[in-house]
Amino acid sequence: MNRKDSTYYKFRCGSSEYSELAKIRDFISENALGHGIGEEIVSKVALAVDEACANLIRHAYKLDKSHEICISLQINPDNLEIDILDDGQPFNPLEVPTQNMKDYFDRYQKGGLGIHIIKKIMDEIVYIPSDTDHPQNILKLIKQVKCNC
Amino acid sequence: MGNDLKFAIECRTKGDINCIELSGYLDAHTAPQLEDEIHDLVKSGKNKIIVNFNNLDYISSAGLGVFMAFIEDVRFSGGDIKLSSMRPKVFSVFDLLGFPVLFDIVQNDEAAIEKFNLNPINGNE
Repeated sequence: MNRKDSTYYKFRCGSSEYSELAKIRDFISENALGHGIGEEIVSKVALAVDEACANLIRHAYKLDKSHEICISLQINPDNLEIDILDDGQPFNPLEVPTQNMKDYFDRYQKGGLGIHIIKKIMDEIVYIPSDTDHPQNILKLIKQVKCNC
Repeated sequence: MGNDLKFAIECRTKGDINCIELSGYLDAHTAPQLEDEIHDLVKSGKNKIIVNFNNLDYISSAGLGVFMAFIEDVRFSGGDIKLSSMRPKVFSVFDLLGFPVLFDIVQNDEAAIEKFNLNPINGNE
């Protein structure tokens, strides 16, 4: 739902492949930076969105380039809200246990850090799986920050 | 939109130390290039590696994963991967996940070389 006191941007990826990630980050950075939000926060949020989309490409789409990824960025007075829509099998990142980094390093583990990064950066994460009324899954990422709308 | 400098790797050798200079961005799209580069070094027995981040603008977990993929084997063989000259923005991603606990992150290449020379095994204290 768009609010009257918000600014709204939308981006649709040309394909579901890793080469789109730089464009996705640019979409977040270029639009968010114009609203009085610090560069450090913007780059962290762009990283979280990159991680979410990279997970989609690898795990939900299994590197099949023909899927859709749509991203909306809503700049609200008190937060940034990003919706990432996909048409893959539903996968709720919130169900992934939080990574214990001491164990991770002790065991020299590999991979699996994307969701951990998203959880570290974002203040709120909501996952809405697809259903008969909504054909796409929605991952909603929210960062609390004062913005000029 | 600033994407022209995608990613580049430049390698130099100083004695038995190999320096890899990164520029551009290191994400899921570009990380396989670095993985190939380090794989080739390790496979040919070169295990004293410095990765210079001075010109790297961005790193995601895919980039961090490359270092995790090799650090155990490299240290087991008596070498190390030392990370140097990181910009604050890139360091903050390493720091976010606690990577400085595992990796030797140094100010510049000279500091890394000095550590390798002081202690030829691992270059660590």
